[in-house]
Amino acid sequence: MSLPTPASGLSRRRFLASSTGAALALAAAPSLFAVGTGETAARDRPLRLAMIGFGAQGRVLVEALLKVPDVRIVALCDMWDYARVYGERLLKSNGLEVTGYRDVEELLAKEKDLDAAIIATPDVFHAPHTIACLRAGLHVYCEKMMSNTVEGARSMVVAMRETGRLLQIGHQRRSNPRYLVTRDRVLGEARLAGRITGAQAQWNRAVSEDLGWPKKAAIPADVLAAYGYPDMHTFRNWRWFKKFGGGPLSDLGAHQIDVFNWFLGRLPSTVIASGGNDFYKNHEWFDNAMVIYEFPLAEGTARAFYQVQTTTSSGGGYWEQFMGNEGTVRISENPNSTVFYREAAAPSWEEWVRKNYLRANAAPAPEPGAKVDARETAALATYRLPVVTNKAIHQYHLENFFQAIRGRTKLNCPADEAFRSEYVIFKAIEAVESRRLVTIEEPVI
Amino acid sequence: MSTSPVIPVFNGRTLAFLSLRLWLGLRALITGVEKFSARITIQEPLLGADGKADPSGAIIEIERKVYGLSHYNALPDSLRTKFAEEPLLPAFLMSPFCAVLGPALIILGLFLLVGVASRFALFAMGVLYTVLTVGLMLIGQDAGVSWLAIHVGLVALALSLADANRYTVTRA
Repeated sequence: MSLPTPASGLSRRRFLASSTGAALALAAAPSLFAVGTGETAARDRPLRLAMIGFGAQGRVLVEALLKVPDVRIVALCDMWDYARVYGERLLKSNGLEVTGYRDVEELLAKEKDLDAAIIATPDVFHAPHTIACLRAGLHVYCEKMMSNTVEGARSMVVAMRETGRLLQIGHQRRSNPRYLVTRDRVLGEARLAGRITGAQAQWNRAVSEDLGWPKKAAIPADVLAAYGYPDMHTFRNWRWFKKFGGGPLSDLGAHQIDVFNWFLGRLPSTVIASGGNDFYKNHEWFDNAMVIYEFPLAEGTARAFYQVQTTTSSGGGYWEQFMGNEGTVRISENPNSTVFYREAAAPSWEEWVRKNYLRANAAPAPEPGAKVDARETAALATYRLPVVTNKAIHQYHLENFFQAIRGRTKLNCPADEAFRSEYVIFKAIEAVESRRLVTIEEPVI
Repeated sequence: MSTSPVIPVFNGRTLAFLSLRLWLGLRALITGVEKFSARITIQEPLLGADGKADPSGAIIEIERKVYGLSHYNALPDSLRTKFAEEPLLPAFLMSPFCAVLGPALIILGLFLLVGVASRFALFAMGVLYTVLTVGLMLIGQDAGVSWLAIHVGLVALALSLADANRYTVTRA
């Protein structure tokens, strides 16, 4: 058994269909616009989906998919029988009879009426699985990171352009209304931060045990070897191994560094970073990393600091914040960690309160003796974002993907845009490993 | 045959009673009506400057004050809990008292404002405030006791001026 190759498992009909689509798509900028007239039939009927990869992230996506109207999972693929059978039972309990597959190649060979594939396999398989699905004529939603290598990620963009299919990458914050309002209204229209001079983001997690597995569910060694795994421990903890994943900067940082690029509207010019494999002795990837990017904005340089720590949960959760001379905007997928700070000298924010872009919090009572240095800045007034999310955090991004398939909108995170953003994460990893300042050029596809 | 004394329209006592009637009536009416109010949070689309829904599909939470029978709450939960824990307050009377309090304040307030059975309304109001005061005394809320004492004082003053009552539906 071998990893799926881009050209394998294609029927002649699918090959012809995807080749024709590719020719049309090269001129149609498929990542930016909805699919063409050949897809009109998909506008109103339920979309038929294949779920490829049913690990922890796959389950999160399936839970969200079950809440999306007019989509139906009809095939489920995972190399681990234990996970796949669990998934089949879960879907059956939700009224969905699915066909299970161990191999993507077999799935694509047998399932002829699919509209799209949702891919949540380990990073190393994203490129081969995505490319195989695109070449089979499917639209693809693939989890981030696109790949554990720049070359792998680039090949996905090339395949998207060649096939003319849609390829959405799972940076789900880009479809989250709370992030969209913060970016477009709070920082954009209202310019509440003023001139942005700094940004900061973090994701700190407490020490955790490596993932285990029921001994009776262990995958035979020859099957593991066929997929490149030396043992079950590596299979279950692939995120920590360089052959399969990209480490914490990729797993956690990808979301948040993407927000730096997305909110600031450009890529950084340089990066310095430090990280190390200091705590876990049986992992390859570093467990903690600290990164500083420089963003040459039109108004001046802004520096963005990112830290990911997997050995402490201290430091106040996970969030991204943008700091300017008039205010600071801290946003998180967790609404409780979202807060805006108004500098004392900033213009009034009342207009934006009236427009429902923010709400004022009650001012805390002054604490006698709290100020110990005359140079301390007084505590800032705080505001909150009144936007609520009534759906699972991945559901918005999945719905955007399905609406794009139906030709009703454009993708919020097409692969070419995601590739540019993820490129700077690869550069941060390069900076950690080289221990030097790394210059970031516009990535070439 | 006795004749009723003629009360001048702009007699100072008449105006004093009218003022107290107005104040105490509004006070009772509004307090009763407020017991049927609640602050609820509703969700609606975020609108842009053009009045159209924001393209992000954002839904915002807006807090609104609403009135309705379903929102009736005679006493704040914190006060109700303290009353329930007080051994000298008969527990079996709590529910009927709470059920009556809001409607009673509204009815008594309307009686005073319109001028129906003013003496009776004032006396009933005084009793109601006194009963409330007993509860506050038992749980040691002295500020509330003083607050209600002012109300009872105003009721007593009004009763002492009740013979100067004018502009009423009934004379009593």
